[in-house]
Amino acid sequence: MAASECVELHGRRDDDDEVIFLKDKCIRYFKRCLQVLPERFSSLDVTRLTVAFFAISGLDLLDAIDAIKDEKEKIIEWIYSYQVLPDKIESNRSRCGFRGSSAVGAPPSMGKPENAHPYDSGHIAMTYSALSTLLVLGDDLSRVDKKAIIQGVEALQQPDGSFCPLIDGAEKDMRFIYCAACICYILQDWGEIDKEKIVKFIQKCINYDGGIAQVPGAESHGGSIFCAVAALSLIDQLQTAFSPSQINKLRWWCLKRQDSGFQGRPNKPVDTCYSFWVGASLTLLDYYHFVDTQQNIAFILSTQDDIAGGLAKWPDVVPDPLHTYLGIGGLSLAGKEGVLPIHPGLNISKRAVDHLKHIHNQWGVASNIYS
Amino acid sequence: MNQDTPFEESNWVLYKDRPSWRDIEPLSQNDGSSAIVQIAYSEKFRDVFDYFRAVLFKDEKSERSFKLTEDAISLNPSNYTVWYFRRVLLQALKKDLHKELIYVQSIIEDNPKNYQVWHHRQVIVDWLRDTSEEKQLTEAVLKVDPKNYHAWQHRQWVLEEFGIWEGEIEFVEQLLEDDIRNNSAWNHRWFCISRTSSGELMEDVLMKELKYVLDCIKKVPSNESSWNYLHGILEERGLTKYPFIWEFCEELYSEGCRSPYLLAFMVDYLEAKGEESSDNLLSVQRAIEICNALAIQHDKIRAEYWKFMARNLGKKYEASPNCSD
Ligand SMILES: [Zn+2]
Repeated sequence: MAASECVELHGRRDDDDEVIFLKDKCIRYFKRCLQVLPERFSSLDVTRLTVAFFAISGLDLLDAIDAIKDEKEKIIEWIYSYQVLPDKIESNRSRCGFRGSSAVGAPPSMGKPENAHPYDSGHIAMTYSALSTLLVLGDDLSRVDKKAIIQGVEALQQPDGSFCPLIDGAEKDMRFIYCAACICYILQDWGEIDKEKIVKFIQKCINYDGGIAQVPGAESHGGSIFCAVAALSLIDQLQTAFSPSQINKLRWWCLKRQDSGFQGRPNKPVDTCYSFWVGASLTLLDYYHFVDTQQNIAFILSTQDDIAGGLAKWPDVVPDPLHTYLGIGGLSLAGKEGVLPIHPGLNISKRAVDHLKHIHNQWGVASNIYS
Repeated sequence: MNQDTPFEESNWVLYKDRPSWRDIEPLSQNDGSSAIVQIAYSEKFRDVFDYFRAVLFKDEKSERSFKLTEDAISLNPSNYTVWYFRRVLLQALKKDLHKELIYVQSIIEDNPKNYQVWHHRQVIVDWLRDTSEEKQLTEAVLKVDPKNYHAWQHRQWVLEEFGIWEGEIEFVEQLLEDDIRNNSAWNHRWFCISRTSSGELMEDVLMKELKYVLDCIKKVPSNESSWNYLHGILEERGLTKYPFIWEFCEELYSEGCRSPYLLAFMVDYLEAKGEESSDNLLSVQRAIEICNALAIQHDKIRAEYWKFMARNLGKKYEASPNCSD
């Protein structure tokens, strides 16, 4: 392939070598995600709600939420249809939350069911995605059964402080601590959740290299660090959970991940999603100003699909909703024009967080982490 | 993912056409009037899961349900409800769990990065309290992808839960011989060393580790993983405790090595030295010089950080009472 063709395909302008962000194509990509995904995405059958989150929050970050103006009400109905509500005798209290799809076979939720489906339950990552998406869509959360959801989250905390994603048994790790923290923060209710144990679990995951792992003993990982740091910021313990030397080592570990874009672990290739995971961690740790944003942006944009739209984990790879969303999140942290500012802890636009603040005011609760 | 061969595909009989399933009313997904993020499932996928939903709703603990979970898993191993229901059936039907281990192994080989299948494996191993296959299994997966997080996590769980540490260091050394930059293997080395010592590392263990890591650094000085390991094992006793470490660094430096990890280590060392006593101002000056070299030449992507470090050290230097100029 001639060099000039190559340049063309990667959306570079001849004059100044700057890569163009194909925003309109990303908007169209997200809109397509909300309609019908092709068969090869069948493994997302149980987590369709997360795809909706990426697409809708992604449109919001691109300041294009109006592109789904006409479907908004319908989407909100659809999300609420996934809320697992307590049945008449509250036999399923520890199973409440949001499901990720209708795959289990439970009917759409409309009020308290007579008898709960025996295998139906919420999933902590889906509950988190549902609440975040509702906020982005401007819903007032008035139909969320807050008490039931918090009871569902409480039931998932493990003796070591970490969380399982659902009551019927699954792996427990740092990801679900983050989901739990977001849910409790959004609803401003920590119920019986033991925050001290959360902090202790996170401390146990600190590694010899200064990073943080998914579980104690495992390898330090950019995704785990984001979950840990963001969760601590949401429970307002980021300043107290670590010693100054631990904070500095963590900052340095994160900063070392940049090599054009960001990698998730030492000696691994850079990947679009870590521009958000590690970038947001650095933002929360007050170190983002040391990032070379130009190189970071250039890498993210090199993973664009110039024809179909969307971003991939690597250049010349098929885009997916997660990497498209997190790539845009990475662009937002880097201050790319045309992308709205993102809240590094809650992973939604600051505009959506302002809406949350408004809801909190209406509920008569005041929280401190809105910036 | 499990792809049926065209031959098998053509022989596939949909559940709705199977006489043995005639008594079951398939249960389709119900998204009400507003389905968002739909998926264009194949006919086979839809059929299998319609029948899965039906037996799940009935809570039918039968042999045919058990077989059905296998078809459902082959189509979507990420469906955690299928796995959970399978565990319910394993117990209700008193299935041979050793057979289950063989089955799970085949699913892991096809889906080595799937959370649900590794969790299932852990539960079965825990029920059986039998770890005889686990080292081999994880070794096979790590052979294909030596940084597979799930395989490492599973192996570490087995080692710690059952206390079977023999041969681990040799295993790590083999992996590091294959790829000295394999950070997962370095982490595992730390995991084994730290979990098998009570409290601080013993002096003889520490010396052995220092020798090993310095040899590795000598081979590939630009490898972040080995430098991180060096930092880690010196943590308890302090960077400046062993003069031979500094001599090692100086030697590398004088040979012309400018690996940013060497230089960063030297900065940390010199800073620690500077903090030890006020006679060490030269150390601080040298640290500043190295920071500047990192910013300008050897680690330009982090230039702003190194300039900041140089400024910080400079402030410390000026604040020192022994420095009047
Ligand atoms: Zn990624």
